[in-house]
Amino acid sequence: MNSPVYIGRNSTGDVSNSGQDLPGPPTFTYNSPAHPAPGGTLPFPRALKKEGAIEALLFLASLVAIVTVLFILAYLFLNAVPIFQEVGFFEFVTGLSWDPTGIPPSYGTFPLIVGTLLVTLLAMAITLPLSLGSAVFIAEIASPRTRSILKPAIELLAGIPSVVYGFFGLVILTEALQVSFDLDSGLTWLAGSILLAIMALPTITSVSEDAIKAVPREFREGSLALGATRWQTMSRVVIPAAFSGITAAIILGIGRAVGETMAVLMVCGNAPIIPVPIYNVFSPIRTLTATLGIETGEVASGSAHYHALFGVAFLLLIITLIVNMIATVVIGRIQSGPVRVIPRRTGGRIPLRNRIAPAMKAIFSKLRLPATVILGALVLLAIDLSAGHMAAATILAATVAFLLARRKVSSRITEKIAFSLMIGATLIVVLILGVILWNIVVNGLAAISWEFLTGSPRDLGRGGGIYPAIVGTLYLVAGAIAIALPIGIGAAIYLVEYTGGGRFVRIIRSGVDLLNGTPSIVFGLFGFAFFVLFLHFGVSLLAGQITLGLLILPTIIRTTEEALKCVPQGFREGSLALGASRWQTVSRVVIPPAMPGVLTGAILAIGRAAGETAAIMFTAVVFSTRFLPTSPFDPVMALPYHLFILATNVPNARTNQYGTALVLLVLVVGIYSIAIVLRNHYQKTVRW
Amino acid sequence: MEKSPSIITTKNLNLWYGEKQALADITMEVERNRVTALIGPSGCGKSTLIRVFNRMNDLIDTCRVEGSVLIDDQDIYHPAADVVSIRKKVGMVFQKPNPFPKSVYENVAYGPRIHGIRERGELDRIVEVSLRDAALWNEVKDRLHDPAGGLSGGQQQRLCIARCLAVEPEIILMDEPCSALDPIATAKIENLIDILKRSYTVVIVTHNMQQAARVSDFTGFMYLGKLIEFGETTRIFEKPKEELTANYVTGRFG
Repeated sequence: MNSPVYIGRNSTGDVSNSGQDLPGPPTFTYNSPAHPAPGGTLPFPRALKKEGAIEALLFLASLVAIVTVLFILAYLFLNAVPIFQEVGFFEFVTGLSWDPTGIPPSYGTFPLIVGTLLVTLLAMAITLPLSLGSAVFIAEIASPRTRSILKPAIELLAGIPSVVYGFFGLVILTEALQVSFDLDSGLTWLAGSILLAIMALPTITSVSEDAIKAVPREFREGSLALGATRWQTMSRVVIPAAFSGITAAIILGIGRAVGETMAVLMVCGNAPIIPVPIYNVFSPIRTLTATLGIETGEVASGSAHYHALFGVAFLLLIITLIVNMIATVVIGRIQSGPVRVIPRRTGGRIPLRNRIAPAMKAIFSKLRLPATVILGALVLLAIDLSAGHMAAATILAATVAFLLARRKVSSRITEKIAFSLMIGATLIVVLILGVILWNIVVNGLAAISWEFLTGSPRDLGRGGGIYPAIVGTLYLVAGAIAIALPIGIGAAIYLVEYTGGGRFVRIIRSGVDLLNGTPSIVFGLFGFAFFVLFLHFGVSLLAGQITLGLLILPTIIRTTEEALKCVPQGFREGSLALGASRWQTVSRVVIPPAMPGVLTGAILAIGRAAGETAAIMFTAVVFSTRFLPTSPFDPVMALPYHLFILATNVPNARTNQYGTALVLLVLVVGIYSIAIVLRNHYQKTVRW
Repeated sequence: MEKSPSIITTKNLNLWYGEKQALADITMEVERNRVTALIGPSGCGKSTLIRVFNRMNDLIDTCRVEGSVLIDDQDIYHPAADVVSIRKKVGMVFQKPNPFPKSVYENVAYGPRIHGIRERGELDRIVEVSLRDAALWNEVKDRLHDPAGGLSGGQQQRLCIARCLAVEPEIILMDEPCSALDPIATAKIENLIDILKRSYTVVIVTHNMQQAARVSDFTGFMYLGKLIEFGETTRIFEKPKEELTANYVTGRFG
């Protein structure tokens, strides 16, 4: 492969490929014995051996990753099959009663599916006006200074662990709802939706802002030069151009809401019923994920109930798949973009997504009005229920008046109104997130002491410290990283740099994407069934480390792949054209500029692992142990789970709850801020 | 004929980007219904100057302007001046064609729509007239509702001109409109400029001296942020007064 002969031939080949029919002098100089290669003593054999070994290692990493991904999917599916055989798939999905421990047991997941959809839908209705409004504000209206503060702040908030949100929801939100609406209990659908809306805010805002910011400057200039106001430019050119990216952000938010376990489980009340009437937001509700979160720990291996839980996980996978497919089509539209796509390497065939895209576009444009009306109605309903009839009526009247008057109002006044709405949305977002942080930091600081950080828990965690939980979390994260990082990065390098991207690679990529969007509780179920029960690891550090590693593996593969793909092809060609081998090219030319991207992905994965509850609650953790683990097969304490149990099961432990929440928050947000600083630093310094 | 012959007048115009002065003491007049070309080596400030005329420089935070720029005797940098109506009156065609990611029709209808025209028939009429004036109608009349991104580079640039005409400006600024185009597309744009000057005032920035000589009535030569020489195109090219200008137009530097 690396003989100089090959290089010589290759360069002539390139010349004729580029279509120039130059007669040119023969370029076989190196071939001739009279002209030995310059520095002809290059250690080719040794380089070749090393090259082969590295390629084998990378291949091994990708093989492990692929087998794992396929194995998890197959394991979940095969364990779900018995329940479909027993009650029938149709009955499993449409049955109205979920009572797996009843006599006789019933396995109807319809209320759970409805619960998942209702919670997600209302959450989106609440979050969309706020997050899209603030995205537009940050991207287009805010001064560069304001933007440079708001943008990283909001990204940082995306890292707050869901159990911390759940804790806030439990102690503040549900109490507030109970008091203000005079309810028997604040654990309701509305509480879950509000909490999910808050959790989705940072993600949707941040990704939409990126999409708006990515709209080429020329579009703005073209519109402004025609005498359009800033608002006209935004609403008619910039936002439509960013439409695909914004849709992708919304889908991402939906995915997060559907897959969320801990926060929903803590505030929704979890009765497996369909609200009566269907819009009764004060009804308790139960989602698919919460069902797994509640029941996985106490199920007998191999029972019908056990398989029914796998059936629930299977449904979650299907939902993830649907969300992913919509996202792929939409993101396909981003990449094909406004510019004409010339199908080059497809041999004249138009790729499927280019055929789907126009159809989707037609559907979108037809659905825009009804979708707006439905969304508007939902928002109105949310306002009606949360702020009362008067507020809803006022807003409805204002909207109608605005729509009627729009044609008469000057574009200047429209701009003022629009800008104030955006600013209002941003203020609300900042206020909400500020209140949460303030509440946890102020109350948490009261609990922090030397004893709290270095002592063992006493009196069910009401007293003493959380040292074993801190250490346990660090062990878990370190193990997960040790497993996922080498495999994930190796697999990504192999997939991007050593394969041509054929059908096989596409299938693998779809599998990785599917797992990437899969709710963490599904990983928890898999880890529990496979490592804890089947392999007899028991509830142990090792089982938790592997489960967490599997959870972050898809993220690491994806972010590494993206970082590698961002390195321009010209770099590789330049290096290869100088006679560098593939690994030399990858290690010296491709990886260095991709490193910040890879690191950012890895650090975000660490943050996610540190805050993760659902994946470890059945695999690794116990609520209280006074000892640190001495072997990988010992169970451990962990911060997120400790907070979860303290908050839900231990009365009168408020101080230590806040203390644990603060420690967890600082840990995870600290990890995230390293990633953000790193990324911003390299974004400023790396240019090509 | 009460209007004065000059439509744009600048007096002692200075412009800074932060600390760096980009335009120094520029005083010039642009005549109505004529084509005025600005030439000069890269970085001499000609694009900056043309962006002064419709205040596109406002988009750059560090940009600071001193002196006066009068369009129809109104100071466009007066604090009370309305930037939106200035830009409506002074259209611009950019270096790189920048059609919006919309259909051909929607690109042209965009301007009239934002300025309050809603009747479909009226919009149809404006779109057709503008596309005809931009010499593009025959090429796109059967695909008005296809994405503008599917047109060739030259067609996209003429679409941008049509988009500009649809707003009925008085002045059209062109910032190196042919630099991204092939010779045939360039020839079409140059013919178009010749026709446009009957109804519009055109200010064009160009790198290409032959182009300036072919299309313009007046030429200004700029160097290092200063307007070195300004006059009728034939005179600038045949009998330049300044040595710098002479060197540049004869190709001895630049």
